[in-house]
Amino acid sequence: MTTFVAPVIDWAALSAILVIAGTGIVGVLVAAFVPASSRRTVQVVLALVAPLAALAVVAWRWSVVVGGGESTLVAGQLAEDGPALAAQAIILIFAVVGFAVMASRLPNGEEAFAPQGAAAPGSAYEEAARRAGLEQTEVFPLALLSLAGMLVFPMANDLLVMFVALEVLSLPLYVLSAMARRRRVLSHEAALKYFLLGAFSSALFLFGVALLFGFSGSISLPDLGTAAATTVGMDGMAVVGFVLVLTGLLFKVGAVPFHAWVPDVYQGAPTPVTGFMAAATKTAAFAAILRLLYVAAPGFGWDVEPVLWAVAIASMLLGTVAAIVQTDIKRTLAYSSVAHAGFALVAIVSLSEQGPSALLFYLLAYGLATVGAFAVVTLVRERDADGNVTGEATHLSQWAGLGRRHPVLAATMTLFLLSFAGIPLTAGFVGKFVAFVAAADGGAWPLVVIAVIASAAAAFFYVRIIVLMYFSRPEESERPGADAVEPGALTRASLVLCALGTLVLGVWPTPVLDLLAQAAKFVV
Amino acid sequence: MTLLHYLVLSGVLFTIGAATVLTRRNAILAFMGVELMLNSCNLALVTFSRIHGTLTGQVMAFFVMVVAAAEVVVGLAIIVSIYRARRTVSVDEPSLLKN
Amino acid sequence: MIDYSWLLVAIPLASAALLLLLGRRADAWGHLLGVLAAAGAFVVGLLVFLEVMGQPSEDRIHDVFLYSWIPAGDLHIDAGLRIDPLSLTFVLLITFVGTLIHIYSIGYMAHDAARRRFFAYLNLFVAAMLLLVLADSYALLFVGWEGVGLASYLLIGFWNHNLEYAVAAKKAFVMNRVGDMGLIIAMGLLFAAIGSVSFTDVDAAVTAGALSTAQVTAVGLMLLLGAVGKSAQFPLQAWLGDAMAGPTPVSALIHAATMVTAGVYLVVRSRLIFEASPTAQLVVACIGAFTLLLGAAIACAKDDIKKSLAGSTMSQIGYMVLAAGLGPIGYAFAIFHLVTHGFFKAGLFLGAGSVMHANGDSTDMRTYGALRKVMLVTWLTFGACWLAIMGVPPFSGFYSKDKIIESAFVGEGWQPWVFGGAALIGAGVTAFYMSRMFFLTFHGKARWVEAGATVAPDDPRPVRHPHESPLVMTVPIIVLAIGALGLGFALTLGNGITGWLEPVTGHYDHDAHHAVLPVPVITVTTLVLVALGIALAWRQYGMSPVPLTAPTGSALTRAARRDFYADDVNEGLVMRPGQHLTRTLVYADTAVVDGAVRGTASGAVGLGQLARKLQNGYVRSYAAMILAGVVLAGIVLHLVRM
Repeated sequence: MTTFVAPVIDWAALSAILVIAGTGIVGVLVAAFVPASSRRTVQVVLALVAPLAALAVVAWRWSVVVGGGESTLVAGQLAEDGPALAAQAIILIFAVVGFAVMASRLPNGEEAFAPQGAAAPGSAYEEAARRAGLEQTEVFPLALLSLAGMLVFPMANDLLVMFVALEVLSLPLYVLSAMARRRRVLSHEAALKYFLLGAFSSALFLFGVALLFGFSGSISLPDLGTAAATTVGMDGMAVVGFVLVLTGLLFKVGAVPFHAWVPDVYQGAPTPVTGFMAAATKTAAFAAILRLLYVAAPGFGWDVEPVLWAVAIASMLLGTVAAIVQTDIKRTLAYSSVAHAGFALVAIVSLSEQGPSALLFYLLAYGLATVGAFAVVTLVRERDADGNVTGEATHLSQWAGLGRRHPVLAATMTLFLLSFAGIPLTAGFVGKFVAFVAAADGGAWPLVVIAVIASAAAAFFYVRIIVLMYFSRPEESERPGADAVEPGALTRASLVLCALGTLVLGVWPTPVLDLLAQAAKFVV
Repeated sequence: MTLLHYLVLSGVLFTIGAATVLTRRNAILAFMGVELMLNSCNLALVTFSRIHGTLTGQVMAFFVMVVAAAEVVVGLAIIVSIYRARRTVSVDEPSLLKN
Repeated sequence: MIDYSWLLVAIPLASAALLLLLGRRADAWGHLLGVLAAAGAFVVGLLVFLEVMGQPSEDRIHDVFLYSWIPAGDLHIDAGLRIDPLSLTFVLLITFVGTLIHIYSIGYMAHDAARRRFFAYLNLFVAAMLLLVLADSYALLFVGWEGVGLASYLLIGFWNHNLEYAVAAKKAFVMNRVGDMGLIIAMGLLFAAIGSVSFTDVDAAVTAGALSTAQVTAVGLMLLLGAVGKSAQFPLQAWLGDAMAGPTPVSALIHAATMVTAGVYLVVRSRLIFEASPTAQLVVACIGAFTLLLGAAIACAKDDIKKSLAGSTMSQIGYMVLAAGLGPIGYAFAIFHLVTHGFFKAGLFLGAGSVMHANGDSTDMRTYGALRKVMLVTWLTFGACWLAIMGVPPFSGFYSKDKIIESAFVGEGWQPWVFGGAALIGAGVTAFYMSRMFFLTFHGKARWVEAGATVAPDDPRPVRHPHESPLVMTVPIIVLAIGALGLGFALTLGNGITGWLEPVTGHYDHDAHHAVLPVPVITVTTLVLVALGIALAWRQYGMSPVPLTAPTGSALTRAARRDFYADDVNEGLVMRPGQHLTRTLVYADTAVVDGAVRGTASGAVGLGQLARKLQNGYVRSYAAMILAGVVLAGIVLHLVRM
């Protein structure tokens, strides 16, 4: 029997994760012990301060790590290196802007989440909870715990940690998806679908882990490949295991054919959650894919490119054509997110040296625009006959003429959409550019051509929304009219940050690209 | 009975689990299919652990159990709250979100 | 001053941003800021120009490094400006004409509630256009390229309360996208071949023969596709007519003087690529020659004064593209004509705007007539521009267009005859349609009734109260008309514009090559054709009465009226599916979906619908999809591994 050797734990390197997870747990206690009157305030402050603090920690670790200080931690289970820290920083940025939107209220004091998550939609209990002004402040600790999982994901250097991180990030999101204040039936359905498919895919992931473990006798990513060199005759198992693990991760990024949950969940989940989830989950999962592909895959000595090609092409095309025929803004953005998963994948398809930094930049650009766009969606609201603000006006026809009534808001949305479309001087353009260059550098020319064509086609449906906002008149329809509400201070701040980021990264991306270029090296 | 048999059993369980998810309308049953898949993974992990003579796989199995338990909590909570709203737990019933 | 040339872009951009951000607070003075920004850019441009003028001609090309824009591995792109005679010529044209049009817009948009926004867009356009011509790489040029597209889109659709206008804006956008694809692909090809898209590197590589003929031809044709889209040349010409839906100053600035000439700029800027590929160059010349006739024919048939002018713009740009496609002999003349055209066509549009302003915004020339009596200044200035565009000496068009016609006759084989012939016929037709427009508008009998006059109840004539426009509108037109009168002569003084452009366009010895016909013969024939055109127009529209509604006309006229069915073709190929996508899908599936539309809506929708079917809402089929994906991926990986 082997003797147990306690691993050395470098707490400093884990401090960002600990800050977030710790705050999450504190948040649970706050929900239990702080009086209702100040509970929400405390939670919001915690939820906003924690990511900022973690961001500072990541910046500090960056100065320690980048330029030679890469290392593995906790007996090789975690890796602290440039790509991991960069991904963490990006996720934390999304968390700051995303949580700000989550914490915002409408001018009438309404928040985005159900007053009482356990109450059945339409029940007397729910009505009573609404009247009593209850608020489900557990939303924030849940989001923080999910964020903790996301932070572990990029660092995960073995399959077990990856699995646990996957679950830690997913489980709170399943719950958050069910928490919408309005359209709760949709929200529940989204949560159920997300949960069942997520559980299903993580079971697939786990089976892959088991097979890879059986194949190599190790679950550490760098060791998987080395074992491949010595083990003979079990290649089949390794292939199946690898595909299953990759599937589990591609599911999280929402790449075709593992995307089916994306439109339904993005549409049904509370919009602020959708924004955060779309940006941050994708980044975390892509960071894990990066490590899998760059650290583990080369050792196997076979070519994963064809699979990635197929997935990237399918995602770009399906995401684009499906987005074109959508009538719901959240669903359109969801399909666009599927297409973006494909575009992002293009960056790393040929495993070129610039792949990681290009991918991370792409995700940063995409995520800022995503959080921003969904934040705008939270502001466009229907009105009932008395002029009271009700649910979000998500049908595209309700967005007609928004540009005339709310020029600034529409212009902000336009900026995000242009960034999605990859129009120059927005972050999206630079992101697409570096991603395509990275692919082309690795020789994936045909893919780049397809990607360029797909991005031109995709521009169409973004422009369609712009056209709608500026050049269409609201039509008489059975749907209630829509109007934007004044954003709360937090949403406003979040929108400003996202818009500024999108613009600055488009006009002057050099500093960020330089930073990310330093981060390209993985610790093995 | 060699260790290979355990692996075959694990594969069979995994397949049954996946088939359950694909065929059962009842959300609880579908969820049980997922649990079955997770447990088949556990079996495979433990077996491989035995084959390789390390503890890694067995330790992993414990982690998986914990995770599965957490998943049950979340899953059942969601399913129950859907049941309360709709009086059904059919996964085919709630399809307002589509296309 | 050259180091500060970034101010050229920054000033109007800052002004646009300020106007948009300040919102209504800037309503009172927004238009003045807009004018100031344009004028400021002109002053900067002038200072840079004077500095460059002071340098010996071989030192007149400057690359101003701004900052490193996208460092992506080995391929990095710097943002920098190229200051040389070519870009400076454009800068002066854009800022000068731009400033005049800004001033004019003060009056033209005086009653529009959103005037400030209009000026913001105009400033944005000027900034983007300057970026386009000042960029030192295809990538940065593309930024400007998209920017002018966006500004043009915003401005065409400015009166977006009108649905038709919004559709026109969309159309311009879609067709421009097709062209943009060409530019993107050209950039991609250049990247692939030489790893850079800066003009310096590309020129060096092409000169060194680093690209194969096939590569150069491909790049050239793709660049041409971009040029064709932006400059409304065949086969992407149809959007220009509809773009006239925008406010008239926009038509003058964007769709006559500046943006639509960007294609010509691109071809001249990429001249080494085209020179390395005779095929691509020949295609350029052919497209130019064909479009100049096509546009002229469209201009003859339209009764809408702006659409007729749009046809004329197509045709005149056809001349420029033809000249640019002729090779070294033509570049300088293409730019020369571009400059003079910028003046007289802007003058014509502003004049047309003045006429519309006076006629209750009607654009139908059949309801004009005899306006010279009430609009003396407009009549005189329009007349000057009219003579200029026809190429009547000593007006500016004579100097520039005649040179192109002469150059078209130089060469061997069938080409000089075809190109020269087209240019010659085009000159005659130009004279006809411009005279038709001039006489229909200002001469003949009034086909309107003065407001307040007693009218028979069955009189079909519309009631109007035409009046001369205010000074703020007429002064810019007068300045442009002076340009139309004297610019051509002024620019040929000494070595003139050809000598000035030589560092960019290369030296060409005009004495070493001879036209297939003697030059005086060409000039005289041109003038005779022009005279014939005027006479024909006078007989038909000046002397004889003009019916209020257009006669059916010949098959050719009918075809030209409908832009030679370009719309129908485009509609089938691009717009129908596009409209189907934007409208019917947005407004659920209930509204406006008729069978025909459904039928023509193309593959994208079909595929999209298929994708929707896949997304059937059932968790179980989603799970099956995931599993199928796993199996497929496994198979693929397994096969690859073997």
